[in-house]
Amino acid sequence: MMRTLTLMAVGLLLALPLTIQASDLLPKVPLPAGKDKCVEPTDVMRREHMHFILHQRDETMHKGIRTTKHSLKECINCHNAPREDGKVAHIESKDHFCNSCHSYAAVTIDCFQCHADKPENTNYRHSLVENTLPHHPEMSGSALTKDTLNVLATKGDAK
Amino acid sequence: MSALSVFYAILFYVATLILVIGVVRKITQYARTPAPLKIPTTPAPTTQTGVVLRMAREVVLFSSLFKSNKWTWIFGWLFHFSLLLAFFRHLRYALTPDCFIWPLIDLELVQAAGKYAGLGMAAGLVGLFGRRIFVDRVRYISSPSDYFMLILLLAIAASGLSMSFVSHPDIVNLKGFILSLITLGWNGWVNMPTDGLLITHLTLVILLMIIFPISKLLHAPGVFFSPTRNQVDNPREKRHISPWGKALDDAEADA
Repeated sequence: MMRTLTLMAVGLLLALPLTIQASDLLPKVPLPAGKDKCVEPTDVMRREHMHFILHQRDETMHKGIRTTKHSLKECINCHNAPREDGKVAHIESKDHFCNSCHSYAAVTIDCFQCHADKPENTNYRHSLVENTLPHHPEMSGSALTKDTLNVLATKGDAK
Repeated sequence: MSALSVFYAILFYVATLILVIGVVRKITQYARTPAPLKIPTTPAPTTQTGVVLRMAREVVLFSSLFKSNKWTWIFGWLFHFSLLLAFFRHLRYALTPDCFIWPLIDLELVQAAGKYAGLGMAAGLVGLFGRRIFVDRVRYISSPSDYFMLILLLAIAASGLSMSFVSHPDIVNLKGFILSLITLGWNGWVNMPTDGLLITHLTLVILLMIIFPISKLLHAPGVFFSPTRNQVDNPREKRHISPWGKALDDAEADA
């Protein structure tokens, strides 16, 4: 009895490592090329970024103070910039800066149910021109037509 | 690895060994302890299936406690159920997203429930602590270890809640550290974060793991070995006799 139980316990312990694949210890977080500093020290960002973003939301939406330092838009512009092949990661992808950690730590966020998960660069927006594929922005034309720019401008979104 | 990480890695391995070996030894001891008499508390089920159902009701709903004392039941059950919810939230630190149970752990519902369950744990523990202080009969039989277990669990809940609601630790690095411990360093080691609350929480949990096999918390495996709860009420259909009792009987018959 004692021996059987001990063997079972040891067996279970030894089988534990099999549940984890190699290189899975930490998530692979894509870092923005050519930048070495965020708006706050890395340590602070890791622990407090959610509060910065939430505070920014209140300042902007309730008080009308619109700054760029802690704005979600700026996070995305820098952290989810197009990769070398010109593609931009979707929020569901592990290559998306935000999702790389959130999926690892089982943290569900709802930011991108409303906000864009892709940078401001208009080339990576969904094309507003008809007969393109709305869910494959990388396949849409790179140059924006005058009509599209007009639509963006009237929405106050184009720089 | 940093000195702190090495220290805690060793502590975790020692505590895990003590917990596993200690509990297995205790279960073996319980399983070997003779139950010479047929003493199910009546009304008791008359079939084995019935006993399984009775035991399930006992473990899930604490039915005996409910019949005996409503206040103790509500605080005790609140604490234990919250502990279960908190356990499911904590699985995110020990499992990777490719694990089969991950879709459940990843649910917002499970994570949020586990977070607020911390408050349920604290409420239940404060209630049980109050019971030991304000109920005369219970205060009279309370020993220091009874208070100590409540305070230890309360401190674990409080430090855990503080990390959710007051000051966040670096949970991504924490998970890396835990995964490197579970894989026995096979894929390398990761340093643990140095947040004070986290170190407090982990230290208290290590202490809990070490004293679990020699504490009253052994009621967790022990409940399954209660003769008054795990026996079928069939003394007339089937004679209740233990192996050593049968040996005595046989020796007498031979003489």
